[in-house]
Amino acid sequence: MTTLLLAISGLGLLLSLPAGFSGSKAWLAGVLVAMTAGLVAAVVVLQTGEVWDWRGTLTVGGEAVHLRLDAVSALFLALLSLVGGAGAVYGREYWTEEKHPRTARWGRVWWSALLLCLGLVLLTANGLHFLIAWELFTICAYFLITLDRRRPEVRAAGWLYLAASHVAMLCLVAFFTCLAVRTGSWELADMRDHAELAPLFWLALAGFGVKTGLFPLHIWLPSAHANAPSHVSAMLSGVILKIGVYGLIRFSGWLPMPPGAGWMVALIGVVSAVLGVAFALGQHDLKRLLAYHSVENIGIILIGLGFALVAAQQGNAPWGRLALAGALLHVWNHGLFKSLLFFGAGSVLHATGTREMSRLGGLWRAMPWTASLFTLGAVAISGLPPLNGFISEWLVYLGLFDSTNAHGPSAWAAIPAIILLGVTGAMALACFVKVCGVVFLGAPRSAAAEQAHESGPAMRGAMMTLGVACAAIGLAPMLFWPMVAQAVSAWNPAWAGTEVPAGLAALGAFHLALATFALVAAATLWRRIRQRGVTRAVTWDCGYVLPTPRMQYTAGSFAGIITEWFSWILRPERHEHRPDGVFPFRADFTERTPETVLESVVEPAGSAVMRMARVFRRLQHGRAQAYLLYLLIGLAAMAVLVLIGANK
Amino acid sequence: MSEPLNLLIGLAMGLNLLALGSSRLLAVIRAMSVQGMVLGVMPLMIVGLSGWNVLFVAVMTVVIKGFFIPGLLRRAMRAARITREVEPIIDFVPSLLLGAGGTVAAVALARVLPLLPEHAGTLLVPGALASVLTGFVLLIGRAKAISQVCGYLILENGIYLFGLLLLEATPVLVEFGVLLDLTVGIFVTGIIMDRIQRAFDSLDTRKLTVLRE
Repeated sequence: MTTLLLAISGLGLLLSLPAGFSGSKAWLAGVLVAMTAGLVAAVVVLQTGEVWDWRGTLTVGGEAVHLRLDAVSALFLALLSLVGGAGAVYGREYWTEEKHPRTARWGRVWWSALLLCLGLVLLTANGLHFLIAWELFTICAYFLITLDRRRPEVRAAGWLYLAASHVAMLCLVAFFTCLAVRTGSWELADMRDHAELAPLFWLALAGFGVKTGLFPLHIWLPSAHANAPSHVSAMLSGVILKIGVYGLIRFSGWLPMPPGAGWMVALIGVVSAVLGVAFALGQHDLKRLLAYHSVENIGIILIGLGFALVAAQQGNAPWGRLALAGALLHVWNHGLFKSLLFFGAGSVLHATGTREMSRLGGLWRAMPWTASLFTLGAVAISGLPPLNGFISEWLVYLGLFDSTNAHGPSAWAAIPAIILLGVTGAMALACFVKVCGVVFLGAPRSAAAEQAHESGPAMRGAMMTLGVACAAIGLAPMLFWPMVAQAVSAWNPAWAGTEVPAGLAALGAFHLALATFALVAAATLWRRIRQRGVTRAVTWDCGYVLPTPRMQYTAGSFAGIITEWFSWILRPERHEHRPDGVFPFRADFTERTPETVLESVVEPAGSAVMRMARVFRRLQHGRAQAYLLYLLIGLAAMAVLVLIGANK
Repeated sequence: MSEPLNLLIGLAMGLNLLALGSSRLLAVIRAMSVQGMVLGVMPLMIVGLSGWNVLFVAVMTVVIKGFFIPGLLRRAMRAARITREVEPIIDFVPSLLLGAGGTVAAVALARVLPLLPEHAGTLLVPGALASVLTGFVLLIGRAKAISQVCGYLILENGIYLFGLLLLEATPVLVEFGVLLDLTVGIFVTGIIMDRIQRAFDSLDTRKLTVLRE
């Protein structure tokens, strides 16, 4: 049955490739059928825990095709199917033929190709095919990011993405070839008994880490997410980053771990979480801000994974199971709510034509659906009950708390991790209060925001689907727990078992009660407003006679206190002319948060390399005589070497 | 066997210096062709008239290096209407000094090298090294393409001298192949020189720098 479903899925995507070129209806049908079949197949595997294994007779690159779907890959396949399908529905309305006649069809074709390649990455059980599929999906994603390539910043973002991806690819090629050389075959399977393979994990961490966007390697992420079309940003953040996480989880489960790997992953996780949210607070571009939240959430996932690795090395301590389950569930959750948020941001961009938060404001009147669904996503990403973000973060917390009870070094590491995770959550909440407040509340700050309109039914439907999924995980965690438990036991058989963490059922009930209470309260409030009407009044206006919308709180001033704490790494650039005199003539203030890692580490290093290269370019001047002299010098040097060697 | 052979090698080394010190292209070509002929008869002196194949190689070497290639170069010279190397990159006196220094160094180096006892008494190895160095000095130090071709041929003569060490072990076919390569190489260079002459109206290879990337 799984074979049939996956065959339908693959066939649907293959057929949607030519269909996407000619028209959008058949394409959408193909993608949706494929994604539904993929989702069902993934859920079947996650429910039963059976490993689907299929060997073909076809060979690619001299290696027989070997596909496998176990609970770990099924977890990611489910996310891919859901976001891929929702993105197709959303993208069809967002990137239409009328608005983008040149690129709309290519957007569809590359979307199908991307889904196909991502599926292959998840399914293949052969290292060589993994690399091929990995490279192919990287290229598909590049073409999707640069769909609007007439804008120079889009081209720059695409180039940065491509360069970073190829650095990652280099690490992965090294990783897989070393693996193949040492094991004697490209087949990927459980290799935990080959203790000599342990150091290869560092290569995998670097290679998958770039794709995942963990903190110092995230340089490509903000610009690519901000400049891609919004459904592509959702895919990038919701799924493609997770494919990097998939690589880390897959190979940390299959390979023996070097000592300290868990600590390292957890440390990177904490750093990514805290700095990701700090950078997010400093952003004024809506999509760039969401991109930095991806860094933060990847950090949370890595904290869970890191502590699970530590627990596995300490004799499979049971608290590791909770931490890993939290990480895996957070993979789903972040994929869902971040795609929802990017869809929401895309809807705002679609309606107003700008991503600058300082030009938005008051959008909830014109776009009630987008505003409420975006707020739902914001509540979820801030880890507030009763939505899904709280469930997965709660599981990670639970694992960390249990490890402090277990004593030992992990207890001492868990305490600061818990505190920093709490700080991250609080800052994420502050950040989304800022976003929702500035973008949706208040008065419109520009004409574009004033003339905003709600997006169409397809875009709303796609957002609604994801919103419902977020709410479902939050309200009925017991339904989803068995699937996550299957994935955990596929990762580490020592943690097999179906026992539910204490309190999950109660938490689900509490969430239901809370949601019901919130709904009832909202309904009551709504009725009261309907009955009594609303009187509008001016807020306290500091004595100004004519307050304008430009006098509202800005995003920068809202986040000012927190960004000040992190100015050592954010290094905000400020230009200000203060008003002076009794009748001040002109004053202005601009603030920009640079990409610190990119602008003060990577770019100087790159230009240093280029400067050194220029010195060597001087050797190439076109004078044949001098080239002959180089030859002579080279020959003489070799002769001297030989003579020295002979005399030894 | 070594006395007359050493004498001939000494002559070849002298011709090296002549090629380095002369500004007239005709003199350089002549030095190169005489050196080729001198080298051509050497196999006969080493192994004697033992077979027709060695004789054949010797005759062909003398004909090609002594007459055919110099003839080609003289024709190129006439076609390009140049007779002198006017502004060399390394001047003639420094070239001579380099060549002389190189010859001394080659003799000194040959003492250090682990040679077979039957070769230790001859000037074969120093002569070979000196010719290679002379060839390099001409290649590096001259601007006109014809001088450089001469430098290349003298360098090749040096390699040929090295090859004589292995005369008994080398099949005639290899020797002949080398000759053929050389002839084809000069042909191709001749064509290239013609192109340079037409494109730049000069045979000065320094003008080729405009062709760089």
